[in-house]
Amino acid sequence: MNFAASCLLALVFGLVVHDWLTHRGKNRRALLVESAVFVGGAFFIAFPDRATALAHLVGIGRGVDFLLYPLVIWLVRESLLARRLRFEDAERMTELARAVALRGAQRLEVETVHSSGRNPLQSDGSSASFNT
Amino acid sequence: MLRDVSVAVLMPAYDEAVTLTRTLASLASVAASTGGVTVFLVDDGSRLPVQMTSLPEPTPTFTVILARHPINLGQGAALETARRLALREPAFSAYVTMDADGQHQACDAMALAQAVIGGADVVFGDRSRGDSNVPPFRAVLLFFAGIFERVLTGLPLSDAHNGLRAFSRRGLEAISIRQNRMAHATEIKRLVSEARFLSVVELPVSVRYSRETLSKGQRGSGAADILRDLALQYLFGESR
Repeated sequence: MNFAASCLLALVFGLVVHDWLTHRGKNRRALLVESAVFVGGAFFIAFPDRATALAHLVGIGRGVDFLLYPLVIWLVRESLLARRLRFEDAERMTELARAVALRGAQRLEVETVHSSGRNPLQSDGSSASFNT
Repeated sequence: MLRDVSVAVLMPAYDEAVTLTRTLASLASVAASTGGVTVFLVDDGSRLPVQMTSLPEPTPTFTVILARHPINLGQGAALETARRLALREPAFSAYVTMDADGQHQACDAMALAQAVIGGADVVFGDRSRGDSNVPPFRAVLLFFAGIFERVLTGLPLSDAHNGLRAFSRRGLEAISIRQNRMAHATEIKRLVSEARFLSVVELPVSVRYSRETLSKGQRGSGAADILRDLALQYLFGESR
């Protein structure tokens, strides 16, 4: 095993340990999936010839390409899905904030100001700053 | 000319304390010669919320309806809130969108409203033909933005991203804004273009830049944000 492979393995191992420690007691199923994927990755880092052999089986020249192609496709898809979710969440947040604003809209009335000598909307501090 | 005409002004505001007061005061002064001006003011989550006491006193021809976003969403979102506020009121003769930072003139707003009374559905302001003091860098940016918008919308308009516009009621009903930030200006043109049945004109207006408006206005880097927002809406905006 060369230096680069050792560093990668250390990184994978470090990430797994870090995630188990910081998420302790939470998201155990997600952590198990992550650990399984990382163990698979560590295997191919430690034994790159196995990845190449698998790649040859399906007609791909190099082991790294065998792993890289599906990984890039998956990442692009994940990126688009995440963007879409953020977009939809932002729209929902906007509608919520807008509903609050529309509900609390206040009119500055000429009659009320003239009749009472002051703006009734200022009758208490909360309506003056209309915190919602 | 506008004696019997009621005008709704849709105005987003974010941290515009001083300029907002001046802008509203200028609208109140021209309102006396109209059938009434109602400002639909949307405070877009300003750090210091707009206070009712800071607004000009209402008169028989001038009033303000104030709504406040609990968080800052962006100018497009605030404009859409103002649009919905205005549409739930009885019909006005004309609806004008106007910035609160003092760079738009109340008399220009009334001139655009007059064009709507004259039969136009949508009136866009053109700062290049008015008495504007556009800084050179901003002029270059607007030139390219204009080309981009012409290609995108097919509308042969001279100016781009000018917040001073006027609409008839059916014009306003046709533009449901989904772009929260600055891309709404391009989106409005696209919606107007797609509506097809709307008559569109462009009139000269004066846009006066000051240090204040330039510090808060759109920057060159904002162009990239606008392109990103337009691309995201193109990709994901069909779902609603």
